[in-house]
Amino acid sequence: MSAIFPSEEWLKGLETKLNSDEKYSEIAKNWEGDLFFAIEPEGNLKEGLTFYLDLWHGKCRKAEYKPDASIYPKPAFLLTSSYNNITAVLTGKLNPMTAMMTMKLKVQGSMGYMMRNVPTVLDFVRVANEATEEIM
Amino acid sequence: MQPILKINLTTGTTEEFVIPKEWEHDFLGGASLAARILYPYLTQELDPLSPESPLLFINGPLSGTSGPTTGRFVICGKGPATNLWAESGIGGFWGPELRKAGYDGLWITGKAEAPIYLSVEEGRLEIRNAAHVWGKDIYQTQEIVKEEIGVKGARVAVIGEAGERGVLYSSICCDHGRMAGRTGLGAVMGSKNLKAIAVYGKKKIAVVNLERYSALRSESNRMLKQDNEAKIIHELGTAGAANYAEYLGAMPAKYYRQGSFEGVDNISGSKMAETVLVGFSACQGCVIACGRVVNLGDGKKRKGPEYETIVGFGPNLLIDDLVEVVRLGELCDKYGMDTISTANTIGLAFHLYEMGKVTKQDTGGIELVWGNFMAVRQLIHLIARREGIGELLSRGSRQFGAAFDAEDEAVQVNGLEVAYHDPRGVSGMALSYATSPRGACHNQSDYFFVDWGHTNEKIGIVYYERQAQAEKAANVALHQDWRTFFNSAIMCIFANVDPQMQVDLVNAACGLEWTLEDMMRSGERGWNLKRAINNRMGLTRANDKLPKTLLEPYKEGGSAGYVPDLENMLSAYYEARGWDKGTGKPLKEKLVELGLEDVAKDLWGKG
Repeated sequence: MSAIFPSEEWLKGLETKLNSDEKYSEIAKNWEGDLFFAIEPEGNLKEGLTFYLDLWHGKCRKAEYKPDASIYPKPAFLLTSSYNNITAVLTGKLNPMTAMMTMKLKVQGSMGYMMRNVPTVLDFVRVANEATEEIM
Repeated sequence: MQPILKINLTTGTTEEFVIPKEWEHDFLGGASLAARILYPYLTQELDPLSPESPLLFINGPLSGTSGPTTGRFVICGKGPATNLWAESGIGGFWGPELRKAGYDGLWITGKAEAPIYLSVEEGRLEIRNAAHVWGKDIYQTQEIVKEEIGVKGARVAVIGEAGERGVLYSSICCDHGRMAGRTGLGAVMGSKNLKAIAVYGKKKIAVVNLERYSALRSESNRMLKQDNEAKIIHELGTAGAANYAEYLGAMPAKYYRQGSFEGVDNISGSKMAETVLVGFSACQGCVIACGRVVNLGDGKKRKGPEYETIVGFGPNLLIDDLVEVVRLGELCDKYGMDTISTANTIGLAFHLYEMGKVTKQDTGGIELVWGNFMAVRQLIHLIARREGIGELLSRGSRQFGAAFDAEDEAVQVNGLEVAYHDPRGVSGMALSYATSPRGACHNQSDYFFVDWGHTNEKIGIVYYERQAQAEKAANVALHQDWRTFFNSAIMCIFANVDPQMQVDLVNAACGLEWTLEDMMRSGERGWNLKRAINNRMGLTRANDKLPKTLLEPYKEGGSAGYVPDLENMLSAYYEARGWDKGTGKPLKEKLVELGLEDVAKDLWGKG
């Protein structure tokens, strides 16, 4: 199942895919950490967008579309990006490591944990790519 | 920039060398300027360990200005193991202190009759007896010399026992454990009976446009603090990269013959942060602080290892005990030996032992079995003292291999041991190693970062797949030019600052009006000049090669089955560089285009 990004349907599809993808389940079996995405308006996105994913041992325990940041004040990782950059990652036009190393995707959280789990991060992006049918 | 103090240790005489303005303009400072200065003296006949051999400590225009990671200086000369251009960058506070003492370089020739050390104050040089520190380790020597100088804030660059005894990969150290490790310039210093150089002064480090520079400095350091990469390096040290490098099959194990390492979690920067890390250390003005301070449980604060030391004494020798890796790195540091070359050469010994070419009789009874860290420790002692098998090992992997009729087993290029970024996992390193002016070097172009995804579109550095082939050759050349600018300015390669900001900083510091193109052209000029120096010392296209091991595929890991197509990569690289495909020399037109007419005449004659 894939859908148009950004939409609640897209996030639901991503949650479903994370919970059914065997490869992701295996690679991410040790991952423990929630992600809060803050997307800055740009291009077709006129207002800031947030979404939240609670990832735990190869599964997605919770996904929430447009939550207020105050609800999740201390996520394991806060990921901030402009709309054009996040959509470039979601469509495979921008390598996620490039996005991170060139500050097109800003990361706040334990860098040690992230570097130790790069395969999980990359496979999460693969699943997100597959969940993205097209961009608004 | 300020003058360079020329010191002849044979005669005890000094002379100030004023850097020609046009050289400053064309080469900026640091390694490129050193290449321009030393060009006439670095000949094929020059013995790097002879009194005539020059040793130049030099700053760049940004050194000590508290810009983004600008606490660095560089040491240049002719490499005793490579017989080629040698440069070794180093951080800490020594370079900035030299500026405060009124000089931007020390150009040392000759040989003292007996061990000495130098004390350089504003306008004053003192040559002191060093008999009592000869044989002391780098930490002891720094402490003793500082105490004798009696000036708070004095900085001391030293060699250890390895440099005194002529180990060909000896380092020069300063500010506790900062190392100019590569290319063996510690042996050159030792050959001059020069144990240490203390510098101190009170002069202000000047920039041309202070107001503009201050604003840029604040902004660039603010950006750097927020940078993802800088955060990783601060939090985990450079060893934070170990997990990712291992995942890609770019972190060699078992002397470059095993493409994955199960114990990586035990020795990574993350592990260090979670276990023995108790603090950080930074070079002058640096907001990253990549240096590690660790406690191994004995209450003593020690320098913690960086990526190269971790991998060299870890996976390279199949050791997955972080504490032992810390201790092995520390032992090398105390003796003043480059950890990359030491671990690599020891790795070769283990490999040849496994092959049966090196025997227990050769080793004096030491069993070179993978993972045997006690054997590694014994070998380090023997190397530093040049005793037993340590005598052969002290000459580096190329000569050690040759002594056992196995030179082609040595993982080195032109006499410099390959660092721990495997070109089978990050193919751009194939060209970085094969064409670096100082042998297999990862700092003239740390292209592995680009292969991981670190692009810089503003200066044309774009992304190619990490195992792409000749199509990335021109990109590698661009990256080398950019890093040559870094080594001239001088900035650390961890300064992930927008290139336009870098040009703006140089313009404000030097009163220039450079564009990004000027910056890249300056780097290209320096790169070609170093190439020409090497050509004059006998280097040809035949030297642009990789050891056979790196051209054999791994059976396992993230780069299994892949090898770089070096010949095609080189052809594309030569095309991009404007180098002659037959001789390996920069074409005359290229040299003239870069304003190196005199070099063109030397390489190609007057016609």
